[in-house]
Amino acid sequence: MKLQETQNSLPRAKKMRNLSTATTVLTATVLAALAIPMSAQDKLTVKCGRLIIAPGKELKDAIILIENGKIKSVGTKIDVPWEAKVIDASKKVVMATYVIAHTSSGMSQGNERMANVPYITVQDGVDPAHNYFEEALRNGIGTIHVIPGNNTLLGGTGMVVKPYGKTVEEMAVRAHTGLKMSLLSSGSRMAQIHKMRRALEDIKDYIADYERRKKEFDDEKAAGATKKKEFEEKIDEKKKPVVDLLKGEARAYFYVPTTAEMHEAMQLIAKYKLDVVLVLGPRCHKSAESLARTKIPIILDATMEYEELDRDTDENVKYCPAALLDKAGKAFTLSIGSSGMTRYPWWQMATAIRNGVSRDKALAALTTEPAKLLGFDKEIGTIETGKVANLQILTGDPLKATTWVETVVLDGEIVYERSKDQRLQHLFGKTDSDTDKKASNR
Amino acid sequence: MKLAAFSLVALAALQAALPAQTVFKGAKVYPVASNPIENGIVIVQGGKIIAVGDAKTSIPEGAKIIDCTGKIITPGLIDAGTQLSVNRKHANEQFEEVTPHMRVLDAVEAGHKAFDRVRHAGVTTVQINPGNRNVIGGLGAVLKTASETAADMLVKDNSALRVTLGREPGSGNMAIRGGTPSSIYYRRPTTRMGTVWTVRKAFYDAMSYRDQKTLPDPKDRPPVSPGMEVLVKVLEGNLMVHTTARAEQDIRTALRIAKEFGYKTVIQGGVETWRVIDEVAEAQAKVIFSPPSLNGAGNMDGAEGRYHTLNMMAERGIPFAIQTESSLGERSLAHEGMVAMRNGLSFDKTLAAVTLVPAQVLGVSDRLGTLEKGKDADLVVWSDLPFDAAARAEMVFINGKDVTK
Repeated sequence: MKLQETQNSLPRAKKMRNLSTATTVLTATVLAALAIPMSAQDKLTVKCGRLIIAPGKELKDAIILIENGKIKSVGTKIDVPWEAKVIDASKKVVMATYVIAHTSSGMSQGNERMANVPYITVQDGVDPAHNYFEEALRNGIGTIHVIPGNNTLLGGTGMVVKPYGKTVEEMAVRAHTGLKMSLLSSGSRMAQIHKMRRALEDIKDYIADYERRKKEFDDEKAAGATKKKEFEEKIDEKKKPVVDLLKGEARAYFYVPTTAEMHEAMQLIAKYKLDVVLVLGPRCHKSAESLARTKIPIILDATMEYEELDRDTDENVKYCPAALLDKAGKAFTLSIGSSGMTRYPWWQMATAIRNGVSRDKALAALTTEPAKLLGFDKEIGTIETGKVANLQILTGDPLKATTWVETVVLDGEIVYERSKDQRLQHLFGKTDSDTDKKASNR
Repeated sequence: MKLAAFSLVALAALQAALPAQTVFKGAKVYPVASNPIENGIVIVQGGKIIAVGDAKTSIPEGAKIIDCTGKIITPGLIDAGTQLSVNRKHANEQFEEVTPHMRVLDAVEAGHKAFDRVRHAGVTTVQINPGNRNVIGGLGAVLKTASETAADMLVKDNSALRVTLGREPGSGNMAIRGGTPSSIYYRRPTTRMGTVWTVRKAFYDAMSYRDQKTLPDPKDRPPVSPGMEVLVKVLEGNLMVHTTARAEQDIRTALRIAKEFGYKTVIQGGVETWRVIDEVAEAQAKVIFSPPSLNGAGNMDGAEGRYHTLNMMAERGIPFAIQTESSLGERSLAHEGMVAMRNGLSFDKTLAAVTLVPAQVLGVSDRLGTLEKGKDADLVVWSDLPFDAAARAEMVFINGKDVTK
């Protein structure tokens, strides 16, 4: 997805420096994805048997016309230009690629060992060759927000990538999406909350000091006591992401591990007027109703259902926070795990449905909701005119276990085809050398 | 007149004495033994199925009717390989590596939450195995998943003898190198070779035990050994062996040793069956297949899984059951079937692999595994096809009793 082309001509070193010194988040620094070679092939047509435009909105026998990486038109009566490449999916299901709003996968080390490191960024940690991205494409995921892990306090800033490209620059969609805050404690819960308050208070003091020095300079200047034209002291780079957050110019992805920390998290959000997305841990079901009364966007944990022992009745009670939020009328975004069944979007959505969430809301929780949460709802999440041409072709209904992703198109370019997926072919015993290979670690 | 009144009273008494009949009506019924029945009827009485048929099946008067319109009914699922409720510590008697006479039933915790968990997921019968830390670990048991005591739940005691090949029994074992030689970890074997040697020695010992038992002079006969008695049962064809073998060479070894001593073995695990499909087919071995969801990713015992393994077995006519190998009910059998179907296995084969085939493998198909007249009334009412990712087991019945909660 090329949202904005800037800095294409900059040499890599300078570009990367620009990244790390970028000032505003969300709106300013947009990484330039390297231009895909444009040619006549840039016109692409997809003939869809069943098109899921958006959750709950479908068309039969529709055609999608793609030009220069964007969706030019969608409908049942569209003339196919003679020069356009045609993908025949007339017996298949077509929908937008999934959007993952929060993960620390795709890096070999998702957590810096030091807890208070707001100045680091995943741009320096994303590994384009990581298996996570290959697996993501295989499962129809087209947009991923990578952010430092939850074992932190102020853990650094994230970036949005697409799971395709040989370098971070090629994959980049948007840098400095927001700062990771976490109340997950390595020791005691009280200590972690104290550290968080302390860290924010320190920066608040720093901002006040800075403003005071600036005012002193302005006063001196007004009195003619200095020859300097401008206040030269810059905001400390190591503090900048938190300064931006406290000034309301940046957003935090705030990890709250359990309901026990929720009250304190809400206090912090209110006290510092933080713009946050709440990233919930796996045991937050008791907060569902109170969260439904807020306007804070919510990302759920990859573990979507679990049991807890009711000590009074000695019964295991099953909880599914997605279903509880849904019942309370709150929209939510799902996330996916890095291994096991939770790595499949269809499984995550089906788990929500199994627990009572409607089909459309489950689909929305991995398409339109995360797109909106990341501020990309004008660009991705649905198949509509003007949007970025990110789509997947499926062998059947997206919520069926027997459905496989056949083709993935990102920015109007075919980036995945199941028939050419070597790892999958290998696992189905379709490669020649198959019988010869053996694990060496028996 | 008097007589007539008396007989009426007697009839009423007789009816009261007869257990109530329950009718499941309107669901699509998968009897497994025969073709699915749209809008089918299942009638249950006294813990047994008394009729399975289409909408024309006559419904007895006064029967309790459960409306299952729009639902799916299958037999209760059977998980042929678990260690349900028995944790690692209790499943492995580590004083020796050959403990054929250890009975897992003595360690089963009947009230364990794991039984509720698997039952809520549609499983009504499980085989519980001893652990995999011993070369010959002991005797498994087949149990239903709801009751107060293990004895009530029991379907079949001493269902199979568990033998484990590969790295698992040797893992953690050490050769004696000073220190305290009495440590439990100074055990044999420490290698694959040692494991196989241990199995072979055990059966040779059992052979000579069997021979010496028939010596004319009672003084020459060996003292009765419960372990040897179990192995002799195997040698005489009266007890099935379930050999855990995941990697290619272990599957071959399992079949070879069974042939050598003339007993029958089921391959449990069988991750690399795709490599030795000819040998497994030729030996006419049945396979209790290692959970499909771990296949490939789990990399158990260094064995490499392939997604198409079950499809290959189906093509070659090798009977297979799907197991979860879970001890806490952490994996759902229906979801394992779902993964098998995702990888290309047909619905019918998948359903058989969690109902009829495990019943046959465990030797309980006279009572379980299908919906047929005379069989135990173990059935599940599903919201959707059982291997659908969003399906729920809405009602579960064991011996005709509602055990959903």
